[in-house]
Amino acid sequence: MSYIKSYGTALPHFRIEDSILHPRGKAGIMKAVCFSDEDIVTLAYEAASGLPKSDIDGILFATATPVYQNRYHASYLADLLHLPQGILALDFVNSTRSGTDALLLANTLIDSGKYRNLLVIASDVQFPEIGKELSAPFGHAACAMLVSCEEGPVQITFAKSFSAEFAEEFDYKGAHIQYDPRFSRDAGFKANITSVVKQINAAPASYDAVIHNSVYARMAGGVFAKAGFNEGQFAKDRLSNKTGNTGSVHALLLLVHELENGKRKILLADYTNGTNLLEIENNPAAECKSLADQINNYELVGSYQDYLLLRKAGNFLAGDYTTKEMFTSEMMMEREKDTLRYLMGLKCEHCGTIYYLKSARCKKCKESKFSVVELARTGTIYACTNEHYFPASFPPVTMVVADLDGGGRMTVQQTDTMYPAKNKMEIGARVQLVLRKMIENDAKPDYFWKARQL
Amino acid sequence: MSKLTDIAIIGIGVTRFGELFHQSYDDLVRDAALQAVKDAGINMDEIGAAWLSTAFPEIGVFKGRSGMDLSEPLSLYNIPVTRVSNFCASGADAIRNAVNALRAGECDVAMALGVEKLRDRQPQDSIVKMMVEYGHPFLQKGFTAAGTFAVYANRMMHEFGVKREDIAAISAKNHFHGSMNDKAHHRKACSIEEVMASPMVANPLTVMDSCPTTDGAACVILVRAADIDKSKHNPVYIKGIGLSISTGWDLPFFDPNHDFLSFEATRTAAATAYRQAGITNPIEEIDMIEVHDCFSIVELLTYEDLGLCARGEAKDLIRGKETQLGGKIPVNVSGGLLSCGHPVGATGIRMVVEVANHLRGNAGERQVKNAKRGMTHNIGGPGAIASVIVLGSDI
Repeated sequence: MSYIKSYGTALPHFRIEDSILHPRGKAGIMKAVCFSDEDIVTLAYEAASGLPKSDIDGILFATATPVYQNRYHASYLADLLHLPQGILALDFVNSTRSGTDALLLANTLIDSGKYRNLLVIASDVQFPEIGKELSAPFGHAACAMLVSCEEGPVQITFAKSFSAEFAEEFDYKGAHIQYDPRFSRDAGFKANITSVVKQINAAPASYDAVIHNSVYARMAGGVFAKAGFNEGQFAKDRLSNKTGNTGSVHALLLLVHELENGKRKILLADYTNGTNLLEIENNPAAECKSLADQINNYELVGSYQDYLLLRKAGNFLAGDYTTKEMFTSEMMMEREKDTLRYLMGLKCEHCGTIYYLKSARCKKCKESKFSVVELARTGTIYACTNEHYFPASFPPVTMVVADLDGGGRMTVQQTDTMYPAKNKMEIGARVQLVLRKMIENDAKPDYFWKARQL
Repeated sequence: MSKLTDIAIIGIGVTRFGELFHQSYDDLVRDAALQAVKDAGINMDEIGAAWLSTAFPEIGVFKGRSGMDLSEPLSLYNIPVTRVSNFCASGADAIRNAVNALRAGECDVAMALGVEKLRDRQPQDSIVKMMVEYGHPFLQKGFTAAGTFAVYANRMMHEFGVKREDIAAISAKNHFHGSMNDKAHHRKACSIEEVMASPMVANPLTVMDSCPTTDGAACVILVRAADIDKSKHNPVYIKGIGLSISTGWDLPFFDPNHDFLSFEATRTAAATAYRQAGITNPIEEIDMIEVHDCFSIVELLTYEDLGLCARGEAKDLIRGKETQLGGKIPVNVSGGLLSCGHPVGATGIRMVVEVANHLRGNAGERQVKNAKRGMTHNIGGPGAIASVIVLGSDI
């Protein structure tokens, strides 16, 4: 058995209400929606960036986002996260169950004794066809878990997968996910979970929470109830109305939700084309509410037009100027990645000044001996301005000159600003650097740092 | 340092600045060069070496990539011609190179000509395009030129109590001056309120705090002072010339030493020029200045960098109207870049032509009375490069 030593979640800053998506949609029911510079990679990076990185010997990346729609997966994330080269890097794609698939396999690999610390990350960014948002489940999120052989607050005590022969009811039409009623059937499902229930060894009453991650959760509950489970044990999905259905991430988010609720013994059943069943024991050392904080801290998209802008599906407000291909190259990213990706700066050994950009000599004291230092991701604004003529979906672009905590200075764009008036930056304000897409009009996006108000 | 050979300007020429659709790059070269050659009273073939300043061929008309783009329109062949590129200080640097060649004895008559043709493209297809699409894909991405100077404005306001009105007053003053310059791109005076109410470019700088992109050319002919023939020349002397690069293209925005209140390059270039010219108290010893007001804030903070006042006191000069025509030290009586426009490679030379006209007493309606000493200042890149030239009517 293995332990979840640490976890992290990432929700986009923005939510969109169903009432904005469709006249028949309800206000108050929300979906977490990526800003125009976010994707599965940035969310995955954000979820994993707070986790300890030492001694990780593998990364298991899960997403339901098709592989060719997003060029970068496990290996790229390993590199972004500055993990050693040559570690195990596996991708789990094509199923909304892939999040628990990865967790289940991580547990098995740790059990095998060949691996000590595996990073499981699930991340999904799916957009339905424009106009069909209400009939398709979507919501954007990422979750990262560090699965380890070393003891941690959460233990996976049982993990098993059960195959089943029935099809997904969601499929792709063109580039977008949609609900296909032809495959909305429950025959195989019922048989599958009936066989799952038989495998549960512990007494039903010993569980504090039973999570059913399925659109057929009610039916699953019925099968469980027949096997002696009590309705009060079922952890209802209280996230879907706040984040939307986050695909491969959703089961893991529901698990984190119950962990943060302080539930001790949890049964997680994740259904899609079969079932993954995990039994988890939670002994939290301290209360953690990081997911709750992310759920409660958001900004609403104000109109359907803004939502289209955010999807880059049309730009009705910006001027005639459209950005052409910007210059970028793989070679440049590779040779400059210490600086661009890992925020490695130079510290003058003589006067202690820390520089983000490389130079042969210290500008201040002219000495040439430097040591390499990693710059902090938080800082204070030294100067800023709003650029009204730089092409952007949500102008103006705010440029921020920030003095990083512990030394070094960066100048970057502000992000998560659909409504700049609500997110005004001023001298002295605190900011956090987050990794976001910079070159967006290319099949292969490039990522760089932007500032988010703290 | 040994005593430098005295250098004089004997010929000046400047085209109209503006949206000059009827004139090509070559036409502009001919227009400015022929005026200067005629003014100098020389034969074109007396020119022994020339410098061509065009800062941005790739966002203009792909002309000015080498010295041959000066030779061709003038049929000026079989002499050395060098293209100079140093951002907005290119024109001043062309003059510096011509001065040094005369001092070194490479030639007896030198030409420095600056020309830029930016209006054949939409404004957003030239300088803005350069910032958006070219250069490093990440570093500084999000800035246009206006933003790189707007951060100075915000810092000046935060640190020194500079008011938004003080910055706008620079633009109003220069537009008033420009209304008297028949070669300026924009010849309409405006109020401080109009400047502040014009569309925002980069907070707090508005459209009227920003110079336009412009077509234009300017030219000077230089000789050693010893070679002047007083019977036909009306010379103006180069008393001091300094150029300095004090930071890089990206560095100012990533350098924790940088305070966004001053351009070190201006201070060091001015120190060099003042030393050569023997100037110790510029506000008393200089009668007029052409300052690089690409954005109004740049003129304001340059008052301090040129030593016209102490740090933090620039706002008092503009509030007291000391830099207006008739004030203690008129700045940008031509209308500056804000009014004349900014054909980048030509600007530094246009400023020298303006000062020369005042020193000769030929500036007409906007003549600075009894002007004996004048100065030009350019800043290039994000405040990285600066040039300062001190000119005098006497040797």
